[in-house]
Amino acid sequence: MSAVAERRPAVARRSHASSPTGHSLTHPPRQGVLLVLPALAFVVVFVLVPLVFAVYMSLTNWPLIGSYRFIGFDNYVAVAKDPVFWKSVGYTVLYTAIVTLPILVLGYVLAVVVRSNRRGSTFFRTVFFLPYVIGLTTLSFILILEAQPGSGAVNIILKALGITDGTTAWLADGPLATGLIIVMIVWAVSGLTMVLLMGGMQGISRDVYESAEIDGASWWQRERQITIPLLRPTIGMSLVISVIGSLLAFTQFYVLTRGGPGTDTQTVVLYIYQRGFVQLQLGAASALSIVLVVVIGLVTAVQFRLLREKA
Amino acid sequence: MELHRRNVLGLGGLAALAALLPSCASALPEADVGAAGFGEGATGTVRLWCRAATVVGVRQVVDAFNASQDRLTVEVTPVLDAQYVTKLATAIRGGNVPDIVDIDDINSMLFIYRDSFTDLTPLVQQLDFVDRINPGQLRLAVRDERNYGVPYIADASALFYNTELFQRVGIDPAVATKDFDGILAAARAIGALDEKTYGWSVDGNAAGILGFVVQPHIWAAKAPNVVGEVGAQRGSLADNDAVRRTFQLYQTMWKEELMPKTNFSGDGSRWGADFRDGTVGMLPANFSVAALNATPEMRAKTGVVLLPGPAGGRATFAGGDNLCIPRGAANASGAWEFARFALDLPQQTNLPAGGYIPVRSDAATPEYRSTFPLAVTPLEQNAAAYAPVTLAYNLLFNQQDSPWIGSFRRAVFDGDLDGALDQGQDDFDRILEQAQL
Repeated sequence: MSAVAERRPAVARRSHASSPTGHSLTHPPRQGVLLVLPALAFVVVFVLVPLVFAVYMSLTNWPLIGSYRFIGFDNYVAVAKDPVFWKSVGYTVLYTAIVTLPILVLGYVLAVVVRSNRRGSTFFRTVFFLPYVIGLTTLSFILILEAQPGSGAVNIILKALGITDGTTAWLADGPLATGLIIVMIVWAVSGLTMVLLMGGMQGISRDVYESAEIDGASWWQRERQITIPLLRPTIGMSLVISVIGSLLAFTQFYVLTRGGPGTDTQTVVLYIYQRGFVQLQLGAASALSIVLVVVIGLVTAVQFRLLREKA
Repeated sequence: MELHRRNVLGLGGLAALAALLPSCASALPEADVGAAGFGEGATGTVRLWCRAATVVGVRQVVDAFNASQDRLTVEVTPVLDAQYVTKLATAIRGGNVPDIVDIDDINSMLFIYRDSFTDLTPLVQQLDFVDRINPGQLRLAVRDERNYGVPYIADASALFYNTELFQRVGIDPAVATKDFDGILAAARAIGALDEKTYGWSVDGNAAGILGFVVQPHIWAAKAPNVVGEVGAQRGSLADNDAVRRTFQLYQTMWKEELMPKTNFSGDGSRWGADFRDGTVGMLPANFSVAALNATPEMRAKTGVVLLPGPAGGRATFAGGDNLCIPRGAANASGAWEFARFALDLPQQTNLPAGGYIPVRSDAATPEYRSTFPLAVTPLEQNAAAYAPVTLAYNLLFNQQDSPWIGSFRRAVFDGDLDGALDQGQDDFDRILEQAQL
């Protein structure tokens, strides 16, 4: 008796879509597991194994070539005392802080422009999204040419507008290079934010807007009182993607400045790359990577928490 | 079968351990270079990796070798300079190495210290011209008095000058280029000729170039900026008078506009173009930049000396390439046969045609002197060739975020000499400490 009584609550907790034995009523047993197995295998092979391996490497003096030895937490202690790493952290955080809002605002504005199915919307969606499709590597190589003093388009245009004398060495100066990269990134990445937000906007029922219009709400009121609140989860996701992308910034800096002049434009990932693949210290680079993974995890968790609280 | 989180993590852990096992393997096997017949009569293919920057010079030698016999074929794979170390290291880690590598000599030590190259001592010492090989380059492939490679093309930095401009200002370049006072006086005189003429030019935003042409001033004063043996090295900037005076010279020339404005952003893509146009009095560069790409008229009015120290002395960068045979090479015997061919006089004397200097001092034959007059001084004076033996050359000098270019720019363009030297000292010490982990 007692055994039956104990089992009852467990049965009651089962999903309504399941049989009393716990299996799906509509699908054969284990089908779900089999379906996710390929994806699971990929995650194990390409995410979990490298992650465990990286943790192990971070506890050694692992060089790219030659033998290695276990050195405990020496690499992590060195991280704490590495001024260049912390300078690159500071620079990356500053860069992230600067680019995040413009990407969101511009993405939002573009989404507003193209969200309806008016004539020409598809054309503009394509145009605004195109820079993202071209990719940062190609855009960065183009910008190298266009930022050349004297001959690059950036300088020629600024000279024609009477703003500079056309000889500005954009990539030879830390703040100037950062400014130029920020402009390029905002222009290139806003298209992605636009697509994400546009999808969210199109998912909001027309009925809500029509009710508001009948109540006499202005365009701005509808945007502020309806679109933005209902779009909060999408905005949150866009912000998380944007912030993680900025914290992991590498390509544009690698191509355009290589972290220079000096270490003025060195991002965290660029520094990790230098330690791992220029200095061949994969152990130290792994420790730096693990620290970065933890930091990004924390930042993302904080973001989710803040967005959830606001919602 | 139910899959729990615990199982997944366990599986991941097991896979990680499995991945660890092969990586624990020891260094690749080394060829027996003392075996009878090694380096003679080999057959098949020799896979050669070379730097993209030196592919012209390398192909010249390879084509001659392939045409000289039909037993062996050398196949060239150019690798981008910026990726060379990483790619070779990855190939060694993967156990699939080329038979021979043409490697930037300053990067050789990185691999020698990690037991990746074959000990070639008996072969190198048997060369009857070993005492005539560029000593600065040779020492970049020596560890514990064992040779792990042999240099075969030299890329020396030197000071090239426009004799016509010197004549116009009535200054003897041979005298003026002996020390910094003479250089500054000449640069001022030439810079005063007209608005489009400058005394000096250097690409000030190209890390590799600044390492190549600025450091010899310091070495000429016998005051290197990296001191100590590998394993216990430190930087020497803050207390190094030669570094201070060198940065000061550049700072003065920049402030007084004796250098073109474009030097601020010069990234090496148009290195030496202003000198070849005849608008610059002095250019620290190499034979390839200053002479090979110049018109015959410009070459005729160009002179060359090695780079002077602040108060005299001369030095040059012991640049160029070594030939090394990675451990695990499938055709090490054929590889050495090619190396020996590359060092023969006919190949050596023809190197300037591809922009490089021979490594053998006896290559300065009468024909060589008349064909390549601007390649004579760097060859004849190769005893003054130097480069630091360190595992961190790329990080200290070649990378765009390296402390050498950072200090140079801060001192020269920002005018903060003391800050530049202090910062450079800290950065050199930190990188050298990290390199010894």
